[in-house]
Amino acid sequence: MSETTAAHPRSLVLRQKILNAAIRYAMMVLLALLLFGIILLISGKNPFQSYKDIFTHALGSAYGFSEVLVAMTPMLITALAVALPSRLILINVGVEGQLYMGACFATWGALTFQHLPAWALLPLMVLLGMIGGSLWAFIPGYLRSLGIVNETITTLLLNSVAPKIVSFFVFGFWHSPMDTDKTAYFVPAARLPTFFGTRVDLSLVIVLVLLVVFWFVMKYTRWGLEIRAIGGNPQAARRNGIPVNAYLVIIMCIGGAIAGLAGMAQVSGYYGLLLANFSRGTGYMGFLISWLSFGDPIGILLVSFVVAVIVTGGNLLQLTQGLPFAVINILLAITLFVVLARPTFLKEKKS
Amino acid sequence: MNNKLLYIFAAIVVSATLLLSACGPAETPAPEETAAPTAPPATEAPPPTEAPTPTETPPCLIIGALYGGPITDAGYNQAMHESVMAIKQNIDCVQIIEAENVPDEAGATTTMENMIQQGAKMIIATAFNHQYPALALSQSHPDVIFEHAGGWEMGPNFANFYGKPPEAWYLMGVAAGKMTQTNKMGFVAAFPLGWTLTFVNAFELGAQSVNPAVETYVAFTFAWGDSAKEADATNSLINQGCDVITMHVDSPTTVIGTAESRGAYSIGFQSLAAQQFAPEYWISGTGFTLGGKLTWLASTVLDGSWTPIFLRCGMADGCMAMAPYGPKVPQEVQDYVNQVKADLEAGKIVVFTGPVVDQDGTVRVAEGEVLSDDAMSAVDWFVQGVIGSPK
Amino acid sequence: MTLLSILGVISSAIFSGTSLLYTTLGEVIHERSGIVNLGLEGVLLVSASTGFAVTSLTGNPYLGVLAAALAGGLTNMVLGYLVVTRNGNQLASGLALMFFGFGLSALIGKPYVGAKINGLPRILLPGLSDLPRVYTSLFKFDILIYMAIPAAFLVWWLLFRTRWGLSLRAVGENADTAFASGRNPRLIRYQALFVGGLLAGLGAAHLSIAYAMNWTEYMTAGRGFIAVALVIFSKWHPLRAIVGALLFSAAVAFQLLLQSSGVHVSPFLLDTIPYFLTLIVLIAWGGTRKHAAPASLGRVYHGTE
Repeated sequence: MSETTAAHPRSLVLRQKILNAAIRYAMMVLLALLLFGIILLISGKNPFQSYKDIFTHALGSAYGFSEVLVAMTPMLITALAVALPSRLILINVGVEGQLYMGACFATWGALTFQHLPAWALLPLMVLLGMIGGSLWAFIPGYLRSLGIVNETITTLLLNSVAPKIVSFFVFGFWHSPMDTDKTAYFVPAARLPTFFGTRVDLSLVIVLVLLVVFWFVMKYTRWGLEIRAIGGNPQAARRNGIPVNAYLVIIMCIGGAIAGLAGMAQVSGYYGLLLANFSRGTGYMGFLISWLSFGDPIGILLVSFVVAVIVTGGNLLQLTQGLPFAVINILLAITLFVVLARPTFLKEKKS
Repeated sequence: MNNKLLYIFAAIVVSATLLLSACGPAETPAPEETAAPTAPPATEAPPPTEAPTPTETPPCLIIGALYGGPITDAGYNQAMHESVMAIKQNIDCVQIIEAENVPDEAGATTTMENMIQQGAKMIIATAFNHQYPALALSQSHPDVIFEHAGGWEMGPNFANFYGKPPEAWYLMGVAAGKMTQTNKMGFVAAFPLGWTLTFVNAFELGAQSVNPAVETYVAFTFAWGDSAKEADATNSLINQGCDVITMHVDSPTTVIGTAESRGAYSIGFQSLAAQQFAPEYWISGTGFTLGGKLTWLASTVLDGSWTPIFLRCGMADGCMAMAPYGPKVPQEVQDYVNQVKADLEAGKIVVFTGPVVDQDGTVRVAEGEVLSDDAMSAVDWFVQGVIGSPK
Repeated sequence: MTLLSILGVISSAIFSGTSLLYTTLGEVIHERSGIVNLGLEGVLLVSASTGFAVTSLTGNPYLGVLAAALAGGLTNMVLGYLVVTRNGNQLASGLALMFFGFGLSALIGKPYVGAKINGLPRILLPGLSDLPRVYTSLFKFDILIYMAIPAAFLVWWLLFRTRWGLSLRAVGENADTAFASGRNPRLIRYQALFVGGLLAGLGAAHLSIAYAMNWTEYMTAGRGFIAVALVIFSKWHPLRAIVGALLFSAAVAFQLLLQSSGVHVSPFLLDTIPYFLTLIVLIAWGGTRKHAAPASLGRVYHGTE
């Protein structure tokens, strides 16, 4: 294609690259929409009406757009929780469990310290959530650094344990006869503040800040350099004196802490209480998003946005087309399939 | 280079098609009527940006109804669905938007908000967990009426309605007490909720009134609708020796079907449609038949006379009905149970009249007193004769 | 604790462990060929809903079981395409498949929620017909239960006594070497996914057609992930999977028994014990450096082109 010569300044090359990428991803999304449209047709629904419902709702009104942001926030946080360890080639598929443990610890804080004012209680809950998540990530991280067990396996196992621990507390110490599978509502001081009467809460701001910090650390600091070195070649990094094992454990724990923050945001912001089994794959979706965008912050933002639009639109489809809400997962999955399959005609042409 | 142009062209064509379809005049889908309650529903609402075409009169009231589970579950959700549909059958100009499988709080908020955006002026939230999201929304939408099933909160545009299950449970307990041969009855329950414990207690008290030695074993599944766990729980209860099984979960079908396959008697709850799952060993059952009351509520919203009422109605008012007896129930048992039913309706028997003693021997309702509705919803104890932990 | 209740725990364990066993056997085959199938939950759901739908439509539970098995095999083909042909990341592809299964199963199953079906007929264990009904009903098993342990032996035989099994395990250990010795790793992985999918489909069929006899969204409640844990617990060996499946499901049945005996142990904590056991077992092996996992588990095979 184009080479950087005096006649083709770098900005033009960059523009070309962005254009190519945009076209590629647009084609992928369109392919996914086409496939899902066929499925809709087969089930007797009107695909055009369905897509119109999805897009006008999600993008056509301020309220709808705020709902997209609400759906996007937990995805951003969990994706970041996976992206950071992934730079060390650590596979943190345990986000789901860390999410639950963060929620559990934060709930303990909310229920125990009900009389604190919000400016003290909320940071406490954030801290507790992060502690919970990083504890849950510490075990797999430590075992991995000792070379005993692969962290993929341990995190998967712990993912199944965490919801049960949450249920233990919800049905045990935190239960009352007026509740079914949830705790009582948190006091207002324990709820994350929202903006402009929508459900968008402070966690969106927090995660955006964290994304910027992540980008900055990886690009401009020594830690970022060392992380990338370990990710590239662990043996060489070790020989160069970088404390690889320490990084493995610490970065895994930080990833877990971020996932725990996501859990805290779910119970403090979105739900306002702790619901047993509240996560229907939120952690796994974060894993997917991070993986699909190669852990890049801009990619995470874009992919999360697309997923959030689909999910928000799916809520309306249930009312207007009589489709069970779960069906929107098909569109989600097809979009993911298309990107995972990297169709050749969409592959980037190497110059 | 040619390939790239081709792709750009294709992308433009597909995008244009989508945009055209989005912006073009879409037909207003006629709101379909749901026929018999057993048919899968297909209600559609007009898209938000379209005005109704001149040939159709706009509905006099749009009602949004949300359910915690599927409306064809032959259980609670189906009973609620049929009650809501009765409004449409009685008041033809009403339009109903339904959403099923809305179990949790946050999803309920989204769904109700969407319904209001579609023009709903009355929201019927039928699942227990919907109460507080509905209450919060009632504060931000003062022009919409919210009715919740089974709760206790009230507000200027928020009220609740329910049947009177405890007396129905007492009646079923009488029937079960008469039919059991092992003197052990099994109760599959979802959560240790105050109301659930009350139902168990009423059931046991009713059985004790005809059979003082009878016991009720309780197994919790910790989910409103986990059929594998319900099958497990039913089997476990039968293995403990229980020969009459009943339940408080969303859908009775798994429990009843499992009991039938093991040759145990079953008593249904939530919906009268459950009987078909146990053709042989069914004793009886009760279900919610709130159609009439909901129609009345909707009519008050229509003519503007709606006020928030804490609405409770029982068998005598037609809000709860008893199912037909199964083939194995002898005539004298039927006659006895019918008599107790008449006594309950006439007020001669009041459930939870003192003295009522719990598992540890503490007197929970003193002699001459009656347990109030409020207290029933906060119960955290079992009566003597119930085996299981209330917490 | 009466004899009946103890026998009841065993019976319950057999009933709910059967679907777990089939699913685990399927995953053993996948992982022995080097593929981690995190989408198992989605595959199970699609199979369960398809089997239930076909049973409801035709009135014949055997057709439903067949349909469920086929659905499982076919759904796995999606994973096969992504992972084997397109060289996608296994974990991500599996998770995407899980979401796909959530949605597709809801779409397929929606018209059949609350339908009443003729479940698989149950046959009494021979020789027990003289016992009272409450006992015999404990040991009336359907055909899938009777076939479960033979199926485990069949999988063992397939993996360890046939040429195909040998090739499959070779691919799982090192796909390049297997290719060099004349095998076709891509084809074998597809086959492994299909056969494993058939087995997983049988497990799902047992759940919706024979045990719970109904369909609700998300009804498999995490069994896909339990199976992944079980595969590890049984060291990727089909016969040990029998013990594992029984153990995991006995924990549930035992916990119900405790509940109604008035013993106050939290069912949730009891449920976590099998996982901690697996973790401890993993740590123990890791310490002795004796890995039983197929060496190329999770790695993408790029071929030598």
